[in-house]
Amino acid sequence: MLRELLSPKRESSRGALDGERPANFNILVGKLSEVLVKAIDKPLGYAINWGRLWSLWPVHLETACCSLEFGAASGPRYDVERFGIIEAFGSLRQCDLMVIQGTVTRKMAPRVRMIYDQMPEPKYVIAMGACAITGGLYFDSYNVLPGIDGVIPVDVYVPGCPPRPETLIQGCILLQEKIKRTRFR
Amino acid sequence: MGLEIDRERIPGFDVEGKDADGMDKGILTLSVGPQHPGSGHFRLIVKVDGDIIVEALPDPGYVHRGEEKMCEYRNYIQNIPHLERPMIADSCGILYPYVLAVEEICNIPVPERAKYIRVIMAELNRCIFELYWLGIYGIFLGHSTMFMWPMADRELLIDLAEMASGARVTHAYFVPGGVRNDVPDAFPEKAKRHLLYFRNRLKEYKDIFYDNPLFQARTVGVGILRREDAINLGATGPVLRASGVEHDIRKVEPYDVYDELDFKVITMNEGDSFARAYVPWLEMYESVEIALQALERMPSGPVRTKLGPNPKGAVGEVFKRVEAARGELAYYLVSDGNPKPYRVKLSVPSFREIPVMAHLLKGAKLADMPSIYWSMNYWPVEADR
Repeated sequence: MLRELLSPKRESSRGALDGERPANFNILVGKLSEVLVKAIDKPLGYAINWGRLWSLWPVHLETACCSLEFGAASGPRYDVERFGIIEAFGSLRQCDLMVIQGTVTRKMAPRVRMIYDQMPEPKYVIAMGACAITGGLYFDSYNVLPGIDGVIPVDVYVPGCPPRPETLIQGCILLQEKIKRTRFR
Repeated sequence: MGLEIDRERIPGFDVEGKDADGMDKGILTLSVGPQHPGSGHFRLIVKVDGDIIVEALPDPGYVHRGEEKMCEYRNYIQNIPHLERPMIADSCGILYPYVLAVEEICNIPVPERAKYIRVIMAELNRCIFELYWLGIYGIFLGHSTMFMWPMADRELLIDLAEMASGARVTHAYFVPGGVRNDVPDAFPEKAKRHLLYFRNRLKEYKDIFYDNPLFQARTVGVGILRREDAINLGATGPVLRASGVEHDIRKVEPYDVYDELDFKVITMNEGDSFARAYVPWLEMYESVEIALQALERMPSGPVRTKLGPNPKGAVGEVFKRVEAARGELAYYLVSDGNPKPYRVKLSVPSFREIPVMAHLLKGAKLADMPSIYWSMNYWPVEADR
């Protein structure tokens, strides 16, 4: 179809470039882009998702005590780096994953949102620990938010208080599954 | 609970004031944190003149969860899990004085075997904390190997603690009247094996970390805390002992069975960041010694005094302190005769290091800030409570 549209023997379509028959020209461009998207979408989307999948870089933001198990997860025994996740990355401009490590207090919540807004798209959020999901042990404390999902959108919830490193790794794998199935934008 | 996200402007990079000639003084205000390349949810507002810090204003409170208020509407047993959350790297250390205080105010006897098990667990937790701290200190100063090694050795000790209590870091193992359950039969043998391996392993840390010229260049002579300043500012724990003050609650005010065990208090006279990193390393040897001695002397018998469902405290107040991994940790507990405490006050070592940190940062180079900050044994979750 593409060859047909672009072949020189279709003289009439050349006139479209001079503005004689704009309707036809629009159809040409529309069909062309359709063909291109159909041809490129699947392999390109797969490649982009594959790249995102294996290089999830978490921003180095700790909100409470779950950071300890996050640190242990990147230690030699659990070694979350096999899944392409580097711990303790300083610059948030190069990050695409945010792991909310535990309790978010009223003082911390605006900062969490600010850091989330500064991260470039695409970005994913893992809520780690009972406190980040519902407030956990501190459900009746005066300074603790009942879960982080009122402040930023969450992709994966990892329960536990604190979650074991295996649980965190399972959460990361779930996030990778999610990215794999997402149509890239 | 509705939350208004208020997009307040956090002061960033402001040039401050002008001098008499209308020229900029050149004092910059920098905001470091709460998201920063180092570690911890803690913000420092530093004013710098060129490379020299003129003033450092700590801004804690990002993890303030109201532990003390929560204690007032839970009973003595229900308070155990949330009281260890401020410091889950050393969860036995932070629970120890609370348990001692409740035992005193509710008049609960403790079996002899439980005292030994508590000492073993407290020392294991001290090592677990120091190793984590050392690992982060390593990566703070760009030494990735020193992150990996302590993290790997820490897992062995966590295995022991998990074997005894069933949880990796949040053990909730100490309860008023002893410990929650007895250790498994295989525990003493496995503990000895792991501790002896760990003691051999500690020697290698000196070769790769403490003798490393890069580490020494960044820490020797940096942030010197003099002996009298350390006492006046109220420093505790390894920070105090690195400045030459021989003060350890385990010796000054022995609790449980520490007076029967043989160990020495480590001090150094330099008071710089290197000494503050070196003292915990030497203390880990002592911790291993204490744990091995306690394993030898541990008698058999019950480990927990049976309690009623809701133990009531006598009317009165009690103050108990222990030597946690970061220093002196104290609980002040007031009871009005109800099953719930009237007031619980935590005095945590991390909070006491904040004035010391502000004092040391004044006049230091901006590049020395990480090495001073982390050598303070400062743990933001614990300091904010």
